[in-house]
Amino acid sequence: MAVDSTAEGSAASPALRADGSGGVPADAATQNSSSEPPVDSIVGTADDGIVRQIDHDDFDPVGTLVLVLIYMVILLSMWVFMYFIEFLGRGLTVVG
Amino acid sequence: MATASQRTFVDRFPDEAAVVKANFLVAFVALGIGAFFGLVQTLHRTNIVRVIDSADYYTMLTGHGVLLAIVFTIFFLCGFFHWAIARSLDRPAESKLFSWAWFGLMTTGSALAAIAILGGLVPNLGISADVLFTFYAPLQAHPIFYIGLAMFIVATWLAGADWFLSYRVWRKDHEGERIPLQTFMVLTTMIMWYIATIGVAVSVVFFLIPWSLGLIPSVNPLLTRTLFWYFAHPIVYFWLMPAYMMWYTILPKLSGGRLFSDPLARVVFLLFLLLSTPVGIHHQYLDPGIAEGFKFIAMTNTMFLLLPSLLTAFTAVASMEHGARQRGGEGYFRWLGALPWRDPAFTGMAFAGILFAAGGFSGMINAGMNINYLIHNTLWVPGHFHLTVGTAVALTMMAGSYWLVPQLTGTKLYSRPIGLLQVTMWFIGMVFMSNAMHRAGLAGIPRRTAEPQYQNFDFVTPIGSIFELRVQIALGGTLLFLSVVLFLFNMLLTSLGEESDRPVDEYLPAPLSGAEGSPRILDNLTMWTGIAVLLVILAYTLPVAAIIQNGGGLFGGGLPVPATISAGLDLATTALTGAVNTLVGVIA
Repeated sequence: MAVDSTAEGSAASPALRADGSGGVPADAATQNSSSEPPVDSIVGTADDGIVRQIDHDDFDPVGTLVLVLIYMVILLSMWVFMYFIEFLGRGLTVVG
Repeated sequence: MATASQRTFVDRFPDEAAVVKANFLVAFVALGIGAFFGLVQTLHRTNIVRVIDSADYYTMLTGHGVLLAIVFTIFFLCGFFHWAIARSLDRPAESKLFSWAWFGLMTTGSALAAIAILGGLVPNLGISADVLFTFYAPLQAHPIFYIGLAMFIVATWLAGADWFLSYRVWRKDHEGERIPLQTFMVLTTMIMWYIATIGVAVSVVFFLIPWSLGLIPSVNPLLTRTLFWYFAHPIVYFWLMPAYMMWYTILPKLSGGRLFSDPLARVVFLLFLLLSTPVGIHHQYLDPGIAEGFKFIAMTNTMFLLLPSLLTAFTAVASMEHGARQRGGEGYFRWLGALPWRDPAFTGMAFAGILFAAGGFSGMINAGMNINYLIHNTLWVPGHFHLTVGTAVALTMMAGSYWLVPQLTGTKLYSRPIGLLQVTMWFIGMVFMSNAMHRAGLAGIPRRTAEPQYQNFDFVTPIGSIFELRVQIALGGTLLFLSVVLFLFNMLLTSLGEESDRPVDEYLPAPLSGAEGSPRILDNLTMWTGIAVLLVILAYTLPVAAIIQNGGGLFGGGLPVPATISAGLDLATTALTGAVNTLVGVIA
């Protein structure tokens, strides 16, 4: 079997995750649906708040698409801003 | 069955954890001193508070640049890589002594360079290195500065050898298996670093050290500049690739999700290996000794280099979205609210990513040959790199520390709320400082200047006022310094805390799309190294030949002549033929 790229070795894996469920606790479905761990709890416990397991084929990153499109619009508009304000706004620039 | 405490990294790899901790300690000391210098500078050049003489500003500036951009970042990443190799190969380093040897050499080299820099603050000492982070000629430092740098670079080479050795031994027991992703990322980053540091090694050992010792009367300044930038653009990726490594392999876990695609991450790191180095000339668009055609080639390469960063933006956000949706997030935007914003490790990395997106825009302006003329050597440029190395890298490293350090100490993070306050202060401080620096650059305010206030001349900004920009810069810089103080305080008290059975959740889940389906050629590091070397030869042979020919030879001394693209063509042809033959040999 190919070496898993980021998953822990067996010595490091918490027992409750050694079920091949891709890091989701075995009892994920019954986890508390509270989205936030207590403030004073330890770092890196976001997966304690998992309420459902989403596999590769079930995941459709539409939210990412929306954010990327917004970023592209910002980039384009700032380029246009730079072009008009800094070049055309200052008259002709001759190099050479 | 392992007990709970044995799951922690320090319990499994105590010797490696000690090396990582030592690296982090040096990094954090450098961070504290460098940040203090930053505070002094930001208050000085904005004319809010001036506690130093303006001549000493350049000592502070050099200390700020070298301690933060070289010592803090590289010690941290060496510690991080040492952790990643032991963790992902699930084996200790081959020689504890060797690991401590490279750490000792790196520390000694850094101490020598720091002594040379700080010596500038002591009158009549005769030692100074006010040469800025960009330490090329004609500015000259005391020889121990260059000797310290040379030791530092050699030590990073040895560190890389340590990790390659671990990989080689692992490979003997795991024939035919894919390289674990974190190890793959460490190895590709180090190959890139080996190629890149050739430039600075040649510059320091053959030119700057003999010149500072008086063994040679002069150097060819454009050659040392070009060799510096040959090294100093890829160093940007030496900073960024560990940050990306955290975004690819740790951030998804911190979000409650899994990495979107392992093969895509490999492609990104290979693109950085190939494209990081043959672009350094884009820092020299205004250097008259390099022909425009060479600069155009460098610009084209640079624009290609945007691709892996944009791929990373997609993968990192998609992985975070996966976590948010597993945590119950819905909708086009509402899923963002399901992310674990109270975890400082997650929030710090997310903030770092947001500001890096802004830095991507200003980087595109820097990279354009014509539009670069607008902002070259203005405060825009420090505004840009405080978003990239100063936030994408530094804030990711600090945020990552909240998750990594408890693995090394076996103690819980002292305070998550203070951590959260710290990363938020960094974000707000940088928004103030960096946006004002960009705008000040557009108004023409220069960088590397102790007193950018001139008689009979006023800078004009189309929106707001120059006073407002100065206040923003000073306020932002102060918030950033306070943020570093909070970070160091939290780290210190964490290391002094009581051991915990579960100091941190260090489990990393498997990617959604694993490596097994991806082409095996991605793991052929020999071939990718050959292509990277070929691209470097193609990009640099002609310009370097022209610089040597037109600049009075290797050691200068003659009057420079105008650059033309045809200079050195014969030499270049010979070198290219040799390179192609070498590559064909490697591939065959």
